[in-house]
Amino acid sequence: MKRILQMMQKEFRQIFRDRPMMGIIFIVPLVQLLILAFAITTDVKHIKMSVVDFDKSAISREIINAFSQTERFDIKDFTQDLHRIDNDMRSWKTQIALVIPAGFSKDMQRGAKPQIHISADGVDGNTAGIALGYAQAILVKYGLENNSPDVSLTRRISLHIVNMVERMWYNLELDSQQFMVPGIVVVLLTIIPMMLSAMSLVKEKEIGTLEQLMVTPLRKHQLLLGKIIPFLILSYLELAIVMTVAILLFNIAMNGSYLLLASLSFLYLITTIGLGIFISTFTHTQQQAMFVAWFFMVFMIIMSGFFIPIDNMPGSLQAFTYLNPMRFFMAIIRDIFQKGSGLSYLSRDSAMMTFYGIIIITLAVFKFRKRVS
Amino acid sequence: MSEIAVQTSGLTKKFGDFVAVDQVSIDVKRGEIFGFLGANGAGKTTMIRMLCGLLKPTSGEGKVTGLDLYAESERIKQKIGYMSQKFSLYNDLTLSENIDFYGGIYGLNPTDIEFKKNQLLADLQLTPWRDKLTGTLPPGFKQGLALGTAMLHDPSIVFLDEPTSGVDPSSRRAFWDVIYQTASRGITVFVTTHFMDEAEYCHRISIMSTGKIIALDRPDNLREKYKLPTIQSVFVHLMRQASTH
Ligand SMILES: Nc1ncnc2c1ncn2[C@@H]1O[C@H](COP(=O)(O)OP(=O)(O)OP(=O)(O)O)[C@@H](O)[C@H]1O
Ligand SMILES: [Mg+2]
Repeated sequence: MKRILQMMQKEFRQIFRDRPMMGIIFIVPLVQLLILAFAITTDVKHIKMSVVDFDKSAISREIINAFSQTERFDIKDFTQDLHRIDNDMRSWKTQIALVIPAGFSKDMQRGAKPQIHISADGVDGNTAGIALGYAQAILVKYGLENNSPDVSLTRRISLHIVNMVERMWYNLELDSQQFMVPGIVVVLLTIIPMMLSAMSLVKEKEIGTLEQLMVTPLRKHQLLLGKIIPFLILSYLELAIVMTVAILLFNIAMNGSYLLLASLSFLYLITTIGLGIFISTFTHTQQQAMFVAWFFMVFMIIMSGFFIPIDNMPGSLQAFTYLNPMRFFMAIIRDIFQKGSGLSYLSRDSAMMTFYGIIIITLAVFKFRKRVS
Repeated sequence: MSEIAVQTSGLTKKFGDFVAVDQVSIDVKRGEIFGFLGANGAGKTTMIRMLCGLLKPTSGEGKVTGLDLYAESERIKQKIGYMSQKFSLYNDLTLSENIDFYGGIYGLNPTDIEFKKNQLLADLQLTPWRDKLTGTLPPGFKQGLALGTAMLHDPSIVFLDEPTSGVDPSSRRAFWDVIYQTASRGITVFVTTHFMDEAEYCHRISIMSTGKIIALDRPDNLREKYKLPTIQSVFVHLMRQASTH
């Protein structure tokens, strides 16, 4: 126990004396939060739109007009060719397409269920989601303005964009910051603990102090706990700072339990610190460790649903995300923030995350040897 | 306390097919200054690492302070001091913090550590540097501090791997004075070096080439045996002989 405290004291002294490290731990996350939150998530405007009007009726023109009047959408193209839309989307010329099928107005007058197709480019899933939300809002309003007693229009459209509906439910103002900022919290709780633990252990390897520690009676678990505990404490400090900024500056709604968030964060931190230790066991220089950690990080972030919603990924890729512990924590944190979900709703994701946590930390501890290689 | 500090027979370390240490058998007596000579890559560091429990031997037997290399490597660690080829104190801690840390890791109590710290810093004339960062210390002083720190827990053997590489000649002599004092207190010193003049200061030396010991004796005996004036020339002679075989 005394030896663990010795290690911890030494670790804290080194971290607080290391200016660049302090910067990485405390300044970078805030900058990241500010940049990401403002850059990615401010309102989406001037979405490039293609319109296909097979109906060519007064109603269809009115609908198109409603889209052209808002600055959210810029109609770039009128066409009768559906293939062209496909090509335009691939070449980034259009982001969303509005297709009014022939017979739309007739259906509407007859009181049958009229259909409108909207397809959005899912590559930038976040923008797509927001664009779909705006489109839906316009169509709903259009229906109401017309005093149409037939609400089936909205219902039909809703059915086409089921994902959107589900999300808007909890994020009513469609303010994507509410969605992105909790995601950034997850990203930070991934990068910082993983980098800290990998870099700190590899640095000791590089300068030779790890070898020195290995010839002392310090046991492996004492050495590792002496490293892990300070990183845990720092990560929680980090979490507290970032959450304070998120809530006070971005007015992010935190609807869930702080205790639950802290407890599940612990499980996730064990995973990311474990990854860092694991990386340190097969790298020899800080550059190598940085590179490998960066690789893990990019994979984890892309496959977590942070930028690209997992539902928008091809099926095979979706299956791949189940290998990613961050995927589960991303879902958990967003649910806690936005829906205020309790543990019973999060049990499946939590169980998966814990499962990975146990595997990773066990592997890391097992691979970490009190011998040189 | 056994009179034999280090004893090995047929100690071997292979990295894959490569034999870094090949069937080495030595006996080192308590209080002896035992020198390990050899060209780059001869296997000196590998040998020391096995004796310190940092590497598991591939085969052979070994005892350090009477404790078995395989079964009792954790107990060996309490009884030995080790200075690796790299400087192994924390540059971003002060001298005082480094001593506190290593003392604590060896389980010494704070009053003992404080006492030893004051004594060590005074011996090295580093008392004014006490609260300066270790990284700012001139290289000549670092070696002495590292040795002192590696011996806080009063080990019965110290393993020094090229302790004087990169150190100026006068600091080297000062360092060897410390080694002599250490040995005179009954502590065994196991030291590797590239410097042939340092070999002359050892009680016994072993010369290693590609993992094998090709000569082991007192420096004067070796000079006599090969009828050469210095260990330097004995070494060159042996190396030439080894390379023609
Ligand atoms: N972990 C390892 N894996 C593979 N080969 C190794 C390993 N460690 C050492 N070697 C090889 O074993 C040989 C002996 O290395 P060692 O470090 O013991 O030599 P040395 O006598 O200490 O040399 P130097 O004077 O350069 O310090 C070298 O050829 C080295 O490349
Ligand atoms: Mg060496």
